[in-house]
Amino acid sequence: MKLIKIDQQSWNTGIEKAKSAYRVFGPVKEKNDHEFKLLEPNEMPDVHCQNTRLSPKSIIYPQSQIMFTYSLDESKEDCRIMKEVENVKSPMAIIGVRPCDALAFPIVRKNFDTPEYQDTYWIKAYEATTFVGLACNNACGTCFCTSAGTGPFGEEGLDVLIIADGDDLYAKPITPKGESFIQTAGWTMKAEASIESRIEELKTSAESSVTSSVPTDQLKNKTTLELYDAPFWEQEAFSCINCGTCTYVCPTCWCFDVQDETHGKSGIRMRNWDSCMFPLFTNHASGHNPRNAKHERLRQRFMHKLKYYVDKYDNGIQCVGCGRCIRLCPVNIDIRKICDKMNNFDADSCVCEATSS
Amino acid sequence: MTEYTDKIKEISKRVLAEGRVEMVIGFRKGSVPMMNQPHLATSAESVDELVWDSNCGLNLANYITDKKGTIGIIAKGCDSRNIVTHVIENKIKRDQLYIIGVPCTGMIDHHKINAMFDSEILTVEESGDQITISGNGFSETKDKQELLQENCTVCTHRNPVEYDELAGNLVEEQKNVDQYASVTKVESLSADEKWNYFEDLLSPCIRCYACRNACPLCYCPTCFVDESRPQWVGKSQDPTDVKTFHLLRAYHCAGRCTDCGACERACPMGIKIREFTKKLNKDCQELYGWEAGLSLDERPPLDTFKTDDPDEFIK
Amino acid sequence: MKNFLEHTGIEPGRLHFSWISSAESTKFVDVVTKITDEVKMLDPANKKYVKTEPKVD
Repeated sequence: MKLIKIDQQSWNTGIEKAKSAYRVFGPVKEKNDHEFKLLEPNEMPDVHCQNTRLSPKSIIYPQSQIMFTYSLDESKEDCRIMKEVENVKSPMAIIGVRPCDALAFPIVRKNFDTPEYQDTYWIKAYEATTFVGLACNNACGTCFCTSAGTGPFGEEGLDVLIIADGDDLYAKPITPKGESFIQTAGWTMKAEASIESRIEELKTSAESSVTSSVPTDQLKNKTTLELYDAPFWEQEAFSCINCGTCTYVCPTCWCFDVQDETHGKSGIRMRNWDSCMFPLFTNHASGHNPRNAKHERLRQRFMHKLKYYVDKYDNGIQCVGCGRCIRLCPVNIDIRKICDKMNNFDADSCVCEATSS
Repeated sequence: MTEYTDKIKEISKRVLAEGRVEMVIGFRKGSVPMMNQPHLATSAESVDELVWDSNCGLNLANYITDKKGTIGIIAKGCDSRNIVTHVIENKIKRDQLYIIGVPCTGMIDHHKINAMFDSEILTVEESGDQITISGNGFSETKDKQELLQENCTVCTHRNPVEYDELAGNLVEEQKNVDQYASVTKVESLSADEKWNYFEDLLSPCIRCYACRNACPLCYCPTCFVDESRPQWVGKSQDPTDVKTFHLLRAYHCAGRCTDCGACERACPMGIKIREFTKKLNKDCQELYGWEAGLSLDERPPLDTFKTDDPDEFIK
Repeated sequence: MKNFLEHTGIEPGRLHFSWISSAESTKFVDVVTKITDEVKMLDPANKKYVKTEPKVD
């Protein structure tokens, strides 16, 4: 492991240098909370931010994104032809991505970049981006990354991992992309060999600060239909108000809706994040809605993340344990509790009304 | 207010056992600080989960819209006013309900409290009118009054206006509060300043619709933002569309809003959404002397016509 | 409604209400002329209320 030591001074100059080669994003405190923002000259990412309120997914996958333009002017040759908008992405770097959020990008990639279909907008943005992670020394009470396939020092999805030890920062390059970011930033000081054991210590202590543990080991073995028919969905959905908070703050939720907007004789086709919590998400043109009741929508969200994804990709759960949906849900629906119910569900011991009558 | 819990359980168990109601809607303790969860209790066991403290800021009237069956509902002042509004608007029948009234001394503001501390809050404990907030390496005790949701600080209907039984003694209503201080401040700005103020206010909005969905008034089968024929408003993050949603939603609450604060409480981005509805409440009070949800026998101003209705705006 | 729109920063004078019977053609012309004159006097560069292409990204 080659580690590079960065003191406060070279951190600041390094970030400034990086801004000349990359569009640099980082957590900045706005109003009451931290969000990822394009950094202005001399603006520094706040490395003390525990995590941003929203995930960094919108940098790669904006909430609203124009994909095509069109003209309705009959006198023009390209009338009614969808033209892709210019889709060239200059290099970007996101500083201070927490390991949970970093893991979300490879997860979302499974949807946007398949052998069969490639989402050019997402892929170009993703490929243009260098992910500079920041290891967590202290987990939040709602974090459960160690149950979700990563950890406070997790590296998957990152190009560089920054580790903070007091005021000293250490950079661990993970990919060639990461090495070239470090080079651009001009960080060259090799860390002393003894630091490796110190980092192991930090890592162990960080991992033990993750107090929530959510077993997911049985999800794969459950019968999909039995879980689908489990009696707890209605109870769990009682408090749900069907807002889109959980899906919009989730780093791994990827669904969108396509909309055309015409103004005069020209228009655009764009996509906007959509949410399976909204009745409109599944409403058919006929008026029929296959997920008309709110427990059906809530069930969809959790079944997708914790069962369908698990079965389809054999890659763990579609959740990175960031805890945002737990912290921000207005009615305290807690994925840890629901995952636990799903993982422990035993259809045989459940006497449901249909079988008991 | 925590002492109400036992009484709430006792009443709930009784009305369930007597067959007076089929279910009781209340709150249970949430899994994160300052977040209680609306809870449907149908058995003595599930009644035991019910709690009452200063984290019950959501409006439970939201959970009885068009509901069938007989329902026990725990109602603080604002919930009871929205229950009245629901009855007036035919969203529930009064005789379906057994209202367990809770005189309220205000709910604490999780947005405000979270913003007070740099590190994560792990526990929030309540003892009388003192709230102790703790996290890694800090613990502070504050007066509850300082931590109230803004709507609670200006509330003049803490006692339920309609109930079948009370879970505690009536509390003294707040007097001499300036209900509309925030509105008056905005009213004094110029048109441009007002515009910029609301642009800034709404800039964090992610259109999750938590404000709409937490609101007991928002029960339309299809909300105007979800209509596609015609499509009244665009679906993107365009600021005009975002603003259109908020302005029209507020209009739909005119003369109906009880200032329960559920919208603000629910907003994941901490937007002060009441800035819109508050103005309409002020106008309703000034033009029609009306406050929503105070009586089952009066129709709201916007669905009645009186010859002396103010009409200076018509030329 | 007028109060509320003005409260949110839309200039007074952009929204007008009038009660005109179908028989009052002259009143209709007068009112519309007056409204168009008044609206024209407001800042023409102030197009913030008009949405064309969605401003996103």
